[in-house]
Amino acid sequence: MELSRAKQIIFDAARAAGLEEYEIYYMNSSSLSAEALKDALSAFSCGSGGGISLRYMVNGKMGYASTELFTESELADLVRRACDNARYIEKEDTAPIFAGSESYATTNMPKFVPLSAAEAKAMTLDMQKQIYAAHEGVTDGTQAACISSEIEIYLCNSHGLELSNRAGLNGVYAMPIVKIGEESADAFAFALCSDEEKVAELAKKATDKAVLKIGAGSVPSGKTNIVLAGSEMRSILSVFSSAFSARNAQLGLSLLAGKEGQKIAADCVCITDDPMREGAPMQTHFDGEGVATYKKDIVKDGVLTTLLYDLTTAAKAGVASTGNGMRGSYASQVNVAPFNFSLCPGTLTEDELIAKAENGIYVTAVKGLHAGADATTGDFSIESEGFLIENGKKTTYVRSFTIAGNFFELLKNIDSLSDTVEWGIPGGFTVFGAPAALIKDMSVAGK
Amino acid sequence: MIEKRLAEEILGIALSGGGDFAEIYQELTQNGNIRMVDGKIEAIGDNVLSGVGIRTFIGTQTVYATTTDITREGLIRCAKSVAEAVGEVKGAVSLHLCERIFPNIHPVTTVPASAEMKHKIDLLKSACNTAKNYDQSIVQVAGNLLMVDHSILVANSEGLYTTDRHIRTRMAVNAVASNGHENQSGSCAPGRGMGLEVFDLFRPEDIGREAARQAVVNLNASYCPAGKMTVAIENGFGGVIFHEACGHSLEATSVAIGASQMAGKLGQMIANPKVTAIDDGTIPNGWGSVNIDDEGNPTKRNVLIENGVLKSYMVDRLGSRRMGLPMTGNSRRQGYEYEPTSRMTNTFIDNGPDKNEDIIASIEYGLYAKEMGGGSVNPLTGAFNFSVREGYIVRNGKICEAVRGASLIGTGSRIIKDIDMVGQNLATGQGMCGSSSGSVPTDVGQPLIRVSEITVGGR
Repeated sequence: MELSRAKQIIFDAARAAGLEEYEIYYMNSSSLSAEALKDALSAFSCGSGGGISLRYMVNGKMGYASTELFTESELADLVRRACDNARYIEKEDTAPIFAGSESYATTNMPKFVPLSAAEAKAMTLDMQKQIYAAHEGVTDGTQAACISSEIEIYLCNSHGLELSNRAGLNGVYAMPIVKIGEESADAFAFALCSDEEKVAELAKKATDKAVLKIGAGSVPSGKTNIVLAGSEMRSILSVFSSAFSARNAQLGLSLLAGKEGQKIAADCVCITDDPMREGAPMQTHFDGEGVATYKKDIVKDGVLTTLLYDLTTAAKAGVASTGNGMRGSYASQVNVAPFNFSLCPGTLTEDELIAKAENGIYVTAVKGLHAGADATTGDFSIESEGFLIENGKKTTYVRSFTIAGNFFELLKNIDSLSDTVEWGIPGGFTVFGAPAALIKDMSVAGK
Repeated sequence: MIEKRLAEEILGIALSGGGDFAEIYQELTQNGNIRMVDGKIEAIGDNVLSGVGIRTFIGTQTVYATTTDITREGLIRCAKSVAEAVGEVKGAVSLHLCERIFPNIHPVTTVPASAEMKHKIDLLKSACNTAKNYDQSIVQVAGNLLMVDHSILVANSEGLYTTDRHIRTRMAVNAVASNGHENQSGSCAPGRGMGLEVFDLFRPEDIGREAARQAVVNLNASYCPAGKMTVAIENGFGGVIFHEACGHSLEATSVAIGASQMAGKLGQMIANPKVTAIDDGTIPNGWGSVNIDDEGNPTKRNVLIENGVLKSYMVDRLGSRRMGLPMTGNSRRQGYEYEPTSRMTNTFIDNGPDKNEDIIASIEYGLYAKEMGGGSVNPLTGAFNFSVREGYIVRNGKICEAVRGASLIGTGSRIIKDIDMVGQNLATGQGMCGSSSGSVPTDVGQPLIRVSEITVGGR
């Protein structure tokens, strides 16, 4: 069924039921992927599908219902379901269905052309070949993969607001396994196809990473200086990003509540959220409530300038929405979340950062953050891997140790940052980035 | 659901590119969710998921396509895209499907979708209010009542045409305790493959109380010291240790391609002789149970490790082809968007020979992990990590002060040898396990166990 027809059915049913304020949110994803194992393709998949949801506001109560079943009766029934649900909501939503921002910026995404099946297959096989060629120890179980995915979003409401966006990305993965002697190790690397330089060195980068893990040593327990690689600082930032949500702050679930305007981090710490970051493949000019998005400082020179707000939390705080009402999928309710959220770069090169640490550990992998880190308390204790830093230089690879601390203390204890931000893999329209960070005297548990 | 005739046509088209096996998976799921925060019903989620995945095999290569367009035309388009991705498309293959009905071993008394909304809300309020009133330090309580009604159809070119319906219900309460400058949290989230009658087993008040109790214990705890220690891990969700440290490495997903620490070890003594571990998808109304797996095979009770010896892997259809081993009823996926793969169901270490009191009494200095959080593993190296939600220092055989912020790390092959005492109070805990085929409900379990030495992450 055409989207315009689906909209017509829902809007007709809404009018017939006497609804006054309502909104539909549609999301469609198309994707294809290819995977290789040994010297052949092992899997190919493709798919396209979407869903639609209806939000309905009555007497300050918001009802939701969604479906992937695009039949006339099912779509019309969304109205009944959303109304039924709204009756039981107790939370007052002070923000109504949104009439629209004064103006919307234009996204400047790199041109996206989805990969064809043939291109994806060829690219995957080529990457697999490159991985095997990168080192003689590369062995069975090694995989390469290629993905192409595109998201289309359409928001339309009873105020006549109508917004749409379409964004996509093509990417390639290298996942080598190397076996040297009796020991095996693996690694993972990803690059956007648009970043040709990174794609060209991906196989070697991933394979080198796996080889370095062979014969890893251990570290003693105690306190030491830690340099978190940009990719790992980014992972930690992403887990604790929910502390910057005004929703969590208002619910008492964030220790940043009431701290706007106050110093929460070291002077060198700046954090921004830029939904239309230049060069980013997934950009959006409106959020999940139809509010225009824009670039903003979250932390400036260590001071918390603003939390992230959607319409409801902004109304409660008496401020304007920061355009961070997020709908992770068509079925999700509005939540508060960042778009392109990053810790800003410092001035030192990564080598200079390592030299400054003198002795300690350069952490290149943190694992199990979903369990080992708690955004409400800020506490983390996480399995890590990396290199020893001895006399200002990276030396032996080490693993089987944990680093532990508290995110809010870590922000204050960042000594310095590297000059290059490493961006992660976008999840929908959200992506995180960070430079490498030097943190002094962190707790380590090892042998 | 797709009618038998149409399924035959679709499978025939899917095979027209030269595949040697084809399969249709259809899903119709109603996800209900009631969320209470700050003493108020904040949101009611009501989502219908509907779609189809069509898969073919050519030897050990797979092609998979999905669609939400379940009209005849949409399905034919999807099947054609599968055939075209396999090879040169020839005429559709003719085949005949025979319907099969498997017994339902997970009866449901009260289907959540048909119950009064007010009744469901009252259940959740009862849990949240009990948590909020537990102690004055409790500053916030969030509760979720999750109700999933999941119907599937599986048809394949071997002639199978079958359907199943699976209902699961869970309540999760998260409580936050604060002393003004520090927060600590506690949670409790029991569930079963049942309807609302699950709350006859788990009273909502008890769920709320348990979450709040844990938050208060943690608020008054000091940080866990770091280093290698003897650790006693309690029953229930403590079983996550086997799930992460060993279970994932026994899935054909990694074993079949040689990317597992456990590959090639069938028949070998891989664990302490006191360890017997089982994956059982047939436990009536178990959180991880299903009548049939997502390839249409009935689930089974598979003994994975018996008295320390590796007896079986968990094998799906692709794994079976790659490894030459029979399928074990472990093929699972979150829904039509995911190609299925071998996954755990209800996985646990069975009761052992040791008395629980002897286990604690045997520890001179160590950690008693009363409640575990989640974790993760690298199946290749077996390196795992998981967090301790509630822990206590053990001194001279006695459980002493509470400690917080601990995590346990190690390698799977080592820890299952270091489980040197196995108690007798087997119980399970519920989790959602994430892997390449999405998020699926899995039960973990064990009695109280002792690990002779493991690295405890703390500070």
